[in-house]
Amino acid sequence: MIQHIKVHDVLQQSVAGFYTDLVTRPTGRAVRESIERALPAGTIAVMDFTGVGCLDYSCADEIVAKLVREKVRVLLLRGTSDAHRDAIEPVLLGHGLAVVCEHPDGTLHVIGAREPAATLLDELVAQHVAARTPGGAIALTAA
Amino acid sequence: MTRLVEVPSQFDDRSFDQFAAAYAQATSGAGGERLLFDAHAAEWASPYGLVGLLAAGEAAGGGERPLLTVPSSAEVVSYWARAGFFREAANLFEIHGKVPKTKPATESEVLLPVTPVRAAEDVHAVVSTIQQRASAILAKELGLDPKATMGFAMALSEACQNIVEHAGAGGWVAVQAYNWRRKLARRVVVIAVADAGVGFRHSLEPSQAKRFGDRWGDAAALEAALIQGTSRFRDPGRGQGLAGIRRYLARWEGKVAIRSGTARIAIVPKWDDDVPLRDGLPAFPGSQVLLIIPEQGSPRA
Repeated sequence: MIQHIKVHDVLQQSVAGFYTDLVTRPTGRAVRESIERALPAGTIAVMDFTGVGCLDYSCADEIVAKLVREKVRVLLLRGTSDAHRDAIEPVLLGHGLAVVCEHPDGTLHVIGAREPAATLLDELVAQHVAARTPGGAIALTAA
Repeated sequence: MTRLVEVPSQFDDRSFDQFAAAYAQATSGAGGERLLFDAHAAEWASPYGLVGLLAAGEAAGGGERPLLTVPSSAEVVSYWARAGFFREAANLFEIHGKVPKTKPATESEVLLPVTPVRAAEDVHAVVSTIQQRASAILAKELGLDPKATMGFAMALSEACQNIVEHAGAGGWVAVQAYNWRRKLARRVVVIAVADAGVGFRHSLEPSQAKRFGDRWGDAAALEAALIQGTSRFRDPGRGQGLAGIRRYLARWEGKVAIRSGTARIAIVPKWDDDVPLRDGLPAFPGSQVLLIIPEQGSPRA
């Protein structure tokens, strides 16, 4: 089963004050800990960044990298902007990790380190979570 | 007895060492003597100068509050007031001279008035403010891709977080846009961040000093942090902030310079002639960070 995480909502619930930006370590830690409480280990999770403004490296590391490293089997990012991915990708590379990104057209692409990236999409297909489209791309089957 | 620290007439990162030398001389062997920061001859101060002066005021404030004479030029005083300097200085100095009761500017070239940074909440406020105000300036005046605003906020966030995470004391940030005729004949946006905390060497000493051996000092600490991306934390995800700032500035031909203790390191773009690493400078407390993003494209006529 795929777990769904709306990051903006978690941010609102985890931190005092109405923030839309994911910045600073303490904020990242609070958001990650909220997510971890609701997330069984070893799952496939979809993390939706819609509504999130600025994402800095500290939060990218504290949330995305640590969840991939310690909690989830595959992390799929949805609703990310170029700026979000600019923050996430170097952090993943630094850890030798990778995540799957869903583009607005529904196709899936991998960002991060090359070695884990090679197996991520295959795993989603093997789990019947994703499938090849007629055009040759890979998209989620149901999410 | 009062010891004098003269504020340079053109107070920016270039003249900061002159100020630091005066500060070091005034505090050397001083047994609790009061300092007088004399800015009466100041004609101009960059954001770096203003936040650096506040850091000096905080460092000198262990006993009796230091004195500050304001610039004699009404125009300069007005500008410092609009930049938010006196609002913060009032907490640190006994101010001598007439200060206009001006609120910090909410428009024009002051993108972010001098703002205290003491906790994560302050960084949130800074990032939120700058996104609202900097977007138009960055896109229209500097010719940056509108998407670059988010990267700018990210760089600002990481620069401010260095204070919260490492300084062991509060600090200040200021962001301004202005015409930089002297170096570039272009518009620039300048981020200045300063604190009077423990500095990079002290922060990194427990984890890095042994690795550097005899070379260990302020310059080696700056090199470890900015060039090698090391952090005092063992967590492998740490140390990404300065690396991210470097990447952002490289994309927009920007400059980053960090002064801490007796050293200063800079990533120098083609348009600048700064020195990448200086050591043996006059000692100054804490850390002072300068980020400059120039207008993209050809210089203006």
